[in-house]
Amino acid sequence: MVTSLDGLASIFPKSRFVRDAAYQAAFESDGLTAFRAKPRAVVIPETADEVIAAVRWCHEHSVPFVARGSGTSLSGGSLPVADGIVIALNRMNRILEIDPDERIAVVEPGVVNQHVSDATAQHGLYYAPDPSSQSVCTIGGNVAFNSGGAHCLKYGMTSNHVVGCKAVLATGEVVTMGGRSVETVGPDYTGLFCGSEGLFGIGLEITLRLLPKPEMFHTVLVGYRSLQAAGDAVSAVIDSGLLPGALEIMDALAIEAAEAAVACGYPPGAAAVLIVELEGPAEKIDFERQQLEAVLAKTGHFAERVAVNEADRLSIWRGRKSAFSAVGRLSPDFLVQDGVVPRKRLGEALVRIEQLSKESGIRVANVFHAGDGNLHPLIMFDGKQDGALERAEELAAKLLRLCIEMGGSITGEHGVGVEKRDFLPEMFDASTMAMMERLRLAFDPRLVANPGKMFPGTEAPTLSQSGLHPLEKAGVISRE
Amino acid sequence: MNETVATPGNLAELRALLQSESLVLPVGNQTKRPLATDEQAQLVSLRRMSGILEYEPSEFTFTALAGTTIAEVSETLQQRQQYLPFDPMLVEAGATIGGSVGAGLSGPGRFRYGGLRDFLLGVKFLSGDGEVINSGGKVVKNAAGFDIPKLLVGSMGRLGVMVEMTFKVFPLPGRLQTLAVKCASVPDAIKRMAVAAASQWELDAVDYRPGSNTLFLRLAGPDKVNQMVSRKIRERWGTDVTELPESDVFWRAVNELAWPERDRAFAVKIPAHRGVVEALAGWVGQNSRIDLHISAAGTVAWLLCDAQSDLDELDRILSEHQAAGLLVRGESKRLGIGCWPRTEISLALKQAMDPVSKFPHLFHN
Repeated sequence: MVTSLDGLASIFPKSRFVRDAAYQAAFESDGLTAFRAKPRAVVIPETADEVIAAVRWCHEHSVPFVARGSGTSLSGGSLPVADGIVIALNRMNRILEIDPDERIAVVEPGVVNQHVSDATAQHGLYYAPDPSSQSVCTIGGNVAFNSGGAHCLKYGMTSNHVVGCKAVLATGEVVTMGGRSVETVGPDYTGLFCGSEGLFGIGLEITLRLLPKPEMFHTVLVGYRSLQAAGDAVSAVIDSGLLPGALEIMDALAIEAAEAAVACGYPPGAAAVLIVELEGPAEKIDFERQQLEAVLAKTGHFAERVAVNEADRLSIWRGRKSAFSAVGRLSPDFLVQDGVVPRKRLGEALVRIEQLSKESGIRVANVFHAGDGNLHPLIMFDGKQDGALERAEELAAKLLRLCIEMGGSITGEHGVGVEKRDFLPEMFDASTMAMMERLRLAFDPRLVANPGKMFPGTEAPTLSQSGLHPLEKAGVISRE
Repeated sequence: MNETVATPGNLAELRALLQSESLVLPVGNQTKRPLATDEQAQLVSLRRMSGILEYEPSEFTFTALAGTTIAEVSETLQQRQQYLPFDPMLVEAGATIGGSVGAGLSGPGRFRYGGLRDFLLGVKFLSGDGEVINSGGKVVKNAAGFDIPKLLVGSMGRLGVMVEMTFKVFPLPGRLQTLAVKCASVPDAIKRMAVAAASQWELDAVDYRPGSNTLFLRLAGPDKVNQMVSRKIRERWGTDVTELPESDVFWRAVNELAWPERDRAFAVKIPAHRGVVEALAGWVGQNSRIDLHISAAGTVAWLLCDAQSDLDELDRILSEHQAAGLLVRGESKRLGIGCWPRTEISLALKQAMDPVSKFPHLFHN
């Protein structure tokens, strides 16, 4: 028997309880466009009380719900459940408090990542985690997926910047985890909540740690004739004792795409470029830039460009940040992977990726956070060809297994979601998987919160070919 | 009180103990005494399960057994010019890495890059029913599965027996130098602490001693850089700024909770914010039996005292501010001071981690 949604509908005014087919279609997918599912209804709460009431109703009636911000998840984390509802949180977009003296901001889940930094800039502060989709992705989603970005080596992921969270759990219980201090006593529940992929509940008021904006950046773009040389340069920088804010590599195919898309002026003929960014007080940067120069001089590069001002710095980053959507120019469709390998095995991993790419006849572009071993192979395919998506997925699976085999992880920052759920048991043994299931049940005994994500299961979404995310096509978002 | 301590030498012995005893409390070297004693439980020390298993300086990671002392880890890291940025506490007292995770303690240096929670990558532990759980990972970036390692931070041995853990480390930042900034009043000090914390000076620690109304700003970098940043700080606060001689001794005393001239019976960790700092400083200002040190730019307070009656008063003040404290030294009837929220989910999580109730209750349950 299908549960009537009348009770749920009574919580919301008509305009914010939507069953219109066109509207539902807008929610049927997220940043992982290969999967689609139509929700039964979309509710659009404007207050925490409405979110709580909706979650309690879902729990009581065992109706699955998926909380959603801007839908930029690259692992299908906000993919709807076909017989469930979507709780769209974009109108919960108030910054509730900024306390510059305590360097915290309290925000609702629908607040856009970049808006936190914009709102706190007048105090000389910013919010450090910077996923490439930061101009549209929301803090609620960042918390759920423990999002990363280009600056994780030095500053850590989202969870390192969330000090407290008031949340409605899947059971309807409202809890306050953490507080206004970066320190806690007792188990770190906030830490567990971050990265739980929406399986525990919905964050309602999230307390973020803000950092002072660095006084100075020193951004260098270095061109290499081989990917291996760029990889070795990363090791040389790390071994020198420097701690750069970012260390990024792009390979020839990714450079070609970025060049075509945004004319970023990367060195022509480069097999790989390395971006190194130092940041800190001017005096420190003056000192460290010399150190960096000496290290890079020995890495056999053929081109070097030092950003001379902020505009120049942003133009270097534009190439990197646009790389993913730019690959859309080379191929009608692509899958992006997010595995992690130990840094010293990066070179080996890249050689293996190249071999696998050749064997399968599928082109793979590489963009990665080299500083923390986080690979982002972009697997290109044409979804209009029969079986092309399946072949691309086969290759993706091989790449994930490679990361596990090398002692790394299947995901550095995109999360498991729908996309990698079958691989989680390959990374964790049976007893660890069982423990995670137990934790899930503690939060959500009826399995109503974002089912079908993270854990292998039967709740299968529709696999379909697609194309770029509409926002990506419009150049509004990009993938990290 | 049961004070016999079993000391298994390997995983098999540890599992056997877990099977044979009805209630177990895992401990390290018992440097946070109140967390490492229990009326009913068999104490099981991991101190013999010690040693660094893997250390890859170029990966910024190491893996070690839980009973490894922080001192051993720090020495090994130092040889490769690396360190634990969360600035561990009670190192000289003999703290182990397992005990440090269980207690969830970080030192003044947590100001710069984050606390212990931010540097813990993976934990292998035994659940109450004796299963070996491999949570987290061994690489510096990982978003796969639930972040169980973070749940274990501050779990006080009540959610599982941690046997092995992987941490992220950083390159040593350079020489330490400390500036003392004399303040006119508590509000003045709190304001200046906020200025220092939000500055672009990239300080390594921002601490405050209300007793002497002095801020302590620690710089960590090449000498030349420290000198230039010091100059900026002096430009800002003029003659209130002096360089602290024997800076190492000062900070070591903070990390060991041993800065007062005489030993204090009790030590309490209090996660703080401005309201809590003001209340504590106001109270302690009139009381010579209590020592207060504010760390990490006002986000944590360490309170040392001798009398149970002072703990009772602290309990009242913290409850009033909806704040909580954790007793880490001294014998008292309660470890959790102030306001520890009791939630359904904390009970359910305890049940999930320890389905056979092998470990003592989380004391706020």
